[in-house]
Amino acid sequence: MRLVSGSGGLSRRTLLKAGSAAAGMGALGVLGGLARPALASSVAATITFAYFGDPKQATSMRESLLPLVKKVDQNADLKVVGYNGTDWNDFFAKILTQIAAGAPPDIVGVATEGVQLMAGKDLAIPLDDYVKRDIAELKEMFDDVDPILIEGLMYDGHLFEMPVNFNAGNMFYSTKLFKQAGLDRPADNWTMDDFHGYAKKIAALPDVNAFDWIVRLWGSWTSFMYANGGNLLEEQRFDGGSWLWDAAYPGNAAVKSRKGGWKWGAPTANSAPTVEALQLMIDLRKEGLAPSPDVGGGGTLQGLFASNRIGMTIGGGFWAGGLHNAGMTPNSFDVQYFPKWKEQKHLFGVVGNAILKSSKNQDLAWEVVKQLSAADAFDLQFPGNATTPVRRSLMTPERYKTTGPEHWNVFYDTLTKFENTTPIPAPPYYNALANALNRRTTEAIASGDAKAALDGLQKDLEAAAKV
Amino acid sequence: MRGEALFGYAMILPALLIVMLFTAGPILASIGLSLYQWDVISPPSFAGLSNYEQLAADQTVLHSFVVTFGLAISIVVLEIAIGLGLALLVQQRRSNLARGTFRTIFYLPLLASASSVAIVMGYIFDQKFGVLNYYLGLLGIPNIPWLTSDLGATTTIVIIAVWQQLGFAFVLFIAALSSVPKDVLEAAQIDGASPVRTFFAVKLPMISPTVLFVSVVGMIGAMQLFDQPYVMTKGGPGYTTTTTVLLIYQTAFQNLQFGYGSAISVVLLLALIALTAMQFLGARKLVFYQ
Amino acid sequence: MRAKTFPARIGRTLGLVALVVAAIVALAPLVWTLSTSLRTPAEAFTNPPAWIPLKPEWSNYGAVFEQIPLFSFFVNSVIVTGLIVAGQTITCMMSGYAFAMIRFPGRGKIFMLFLATMMVPLQATMIPVFVLIKWMGLANSLGALIVPALGGAFGTFLMRQYFMQMPRELGEAARIDGASPLQVFWFVYARMAVPPAAALATLNFSGFWSEFYRPLIFLSDQSTYTLPLGLVGLQGNLGTGSISVVLAGVVVALVPSVLLFAFAQRYFIEGITTGSFR
Repeated sequence: MRLVSGSGGLSRRTLLKAGSAAAGMGALGVLGGLARPALASSVAATITFAYFGDPKQATSMRESLLPLVKKVDQNADLKVVGYNGTDWNDFFAKILTQIAAGAPPDIVGVATEGVQLMAGKDLAIPLDDYVKRDIAELKEMFDDVDPILIEGLMYDGHLFEMPVNFNAGNMFYSTKLFKQAGLDRPADNWTMDDFHGYAKKIAALPDVNAFDWIVRLWGSWTSFMYANGGNLLEEQRFDGGSWLWDAAYPGNAAVKSRKGGWKWGAPTANSAPTVEALQLMIDLRKEGLAPSPDVGGGGTLQGLFASNRIGMTIGGGFWAGGLHNAGMTPNSFDVQYFPKWKEQKHLFGVVGNAILKSSKNQDLAWEVVKQLSAADAFDLQFPGNATTPVRRSLMTPERYKTTGPEHWNVFYDTLTKFENTTPIPAPPYYNALANALNRRTTEAIASGDAKAALDGLQKDLEAAAKV
Repeated sequence: MRGEALFGYAMILPALLIVMLFTAGPILASIGLSLYQWDVISPPSFAGLSNYEQLAADQTVLHSFVVTFGLAISIVVLEIAIGLGLALLVQQRRSNLARGTFRTIFYLPLLASASSVAIVMGYIFDQKFGVLNYYLGLLGIPNIPWLTSDLGATTTIVIIAVWQQLGFAFVLFIAALSSVPKDVLEAAQIDGASPVRTFFAVKLPMISPTVLFVSVVGMIGAMQLFDQPYVMTKGGPGYTTTTTVLLIYQTAFQNLQFGYGSAISVVLLLALIALTAMQFLGARKLVFYQ
Repeated sequence: MRAKTFPARIGRTLGLVALVVAAIVALAPLVWTLSTSLRTPAEAFTNPPAWIPLKPEWSNYGAVFEQIPLFSFFVNSVIVTGLIVAGQTITCMMSGYAFAMIRFPGRGKIFMLFLATMMVPLQATMIPVFVLIKWMGLANSLGALIVPALGGAFGTFLMRQYFMQMPRELGEAARIDGASPLQVFWFVYARMAVPPAAALATLNFSGFWSEFYRPLIFLSDQSTYTLPLGLVGLQGNLGTGSISVVLAGVVVALVPSVLLFAFAQRYFIEGITTGSFR
């Protein structure tokens, strides 16, 4: 077998060598080209704004915000990036990686879940001075936003974010299933007993879950915890904040009870009312009124609700858009306040924009942050009722005409009608808390023993609080 | 032999460079990090071996190793058995069309991303409304709590992992069986060997390097199971499906204890080295190279 | 080998039955995905599922293209996966061969090192790799995904195993005839490596095509997103997207790779093995 190539002409070996050299050059060229976006030098300032939401909105947002940025600094540029995901965890992991690698954004849209983390770990700057400086301009916004949402974005008496959207935990129900079960819309002050009765009637219908829920911090059995006067952590408040209340809401009686933000204290996971709440969930399952809850995102829950398999479940304003996307007509579902147990206490989460301490263009970033809280910026960022606006003026019948629900006023009224509406317990160690909560909840459902699981959760939280 | 050695180095150079730079380097960095406390935000602070001390007493970590190992063994054994079985059956088919069709079919699940699969399976395995329980119900089996009971969750994870990874073992075994020289097979046939005997005496030894490969790589992959528990169960119920990598991810990125997470990775690395070494040792007796 | 005897025929028929059952199990979730993507979300949970929907909702597919720039995701995926597969096929064939057939000092130890790199999960090394990528100026570009994957321990290991199955006598005979090591590689063994190289390319293709995690962390510009990452966009914020559209997206992502594999597999999987061992 002759292996050596024939004489004369280009030998295979030469071709091989030449070919690989050319391929090598070509590859480097391709890679260089692919790397070009990052290698482009930027002498002027670039503000990067990262938010958790639909990336599609990024381009239109940039278009509308860029002129503003240019007005302040002619040479500045704006980059808007939207990250999608099923929950805030993915978003945080992404932001953290960027921070760790030294490429952090300037502005980050963060929900209650992460506010105290950003504030407590000194990642975001307090906006106090900026607010005080521009209070005349901002008065209009403060008038339009309920003060509780503002306090939700405060920590230790300082304001860390400018609000954009929120979601309170209300009870969504299927009007079709209610009708089939012969049920009327529940009264505003309906009780847990009423809820139980409703659930039993719906459960009598074939192939239906009377009530369903998913395991997470927002919504979930936390709503029941609150209604029973319990919580995962001790509820305290930071002092301070009067600088804000006096300046932004002068003479407004509503801010009398406002302080400097929620201060989450020692864990109370295995306190009696909390255990009782979890036990209720287990009992609901035992009685066949609710299935074992899902651990994933809200997708399955939404799908089931949209196919009329669920009678009642906890949702927020974001479900108006969600159910619409799932094909529900505006009057096939509706919403009511969460029922009263020991109290009629609701939970909520609020989202705002923070400026990172590492930002080299904080003044410029502040201009963008202000604009993001403007009334006309809301639908740019969150079209289709994907969440609830913090601005009262945006809560109109027109907004909810296409999607429903009929009683959309419940969303915002939850904040004003009740004195005890409280944000979800999201301390600086939120992530550890959420993980532990998820685990222990599924454990309790599987074992049927709420007390044991919550004793475990208590230990988890005590350990997490120490770190 | 100098020329040969140089040639050898030249041949491994491209792969070596990439692997060293992008994998070995970061691994060393990660080992280094295990000696620090780092919350990803503030600068790291030296902690010596305290992470490892904490690890040794941490029931959660130790439990995750047990869980991971149990899942991994189940997945790999099933993957090899079913993958090899299907490869043999497919190669047996005479028509090219049949072979080609079956090959495509078994390869398909690999193409879907793990997160897509998890979404789909979440619906299919739903206890009350999922398709699977519906059909099982027709056979008289009561609703199985696939994802919400301890046994159900681990079983579901194994089923889904095997379903998706099957194509991997399958494709490799097809290639291996195709490489078995025809003359050896014909010789066996002339000798009057039955199909079963041909398999054990001829085919299996000849593809044993591939079996080793699938076993080692499958094990390494399964011990790092992350996607399915992350999307479908978040490690629950309780800690029953918390694999070690899921724990590392949560420790590092959610509890912001990157140093501790790195320490767990180091222990995982050592465990995998041990497992792989065991498989190679076992291979000495069972694997035949030409 | 014709199955002449009766038990042999039964064996073959049983084999076919087993294959069909396995095929159903393999396909069922995918078929469910396809059929549910053609229904409205409200019908997603009706049992028994209408495996073939009577009124297919093609609008779900329209929505996929409308909600996300699918074409650009697709192109990015093709570039990234294509370059990675090509690169790895070359580098791993070379290194796998060397580890199997060539003696050089430290061979065993270096190979162990390769293996060890497979044993540390991506989650642990993510941050150091990200720092490295940023330092190289590749951050937020497709290069960030491609360059670190151009060589691989997995591919090297695979090729090594297959090369070790090949007869050494051929190479030795060629050396005696005066061939250089490179010529031995290229003319003797390279063509025998076509089936495993094809297997590696196939596995790499599916692995990198459906990759989600590295794109999630390393890419932040939507214009650079690959398909799996881009598809998450369909899920909407907090899971508010329509399930049917999400599933339609899953199907759309699968179709090109399925077609590619179905078409190409007969050209390389069975390979040109007959006669190569004589």
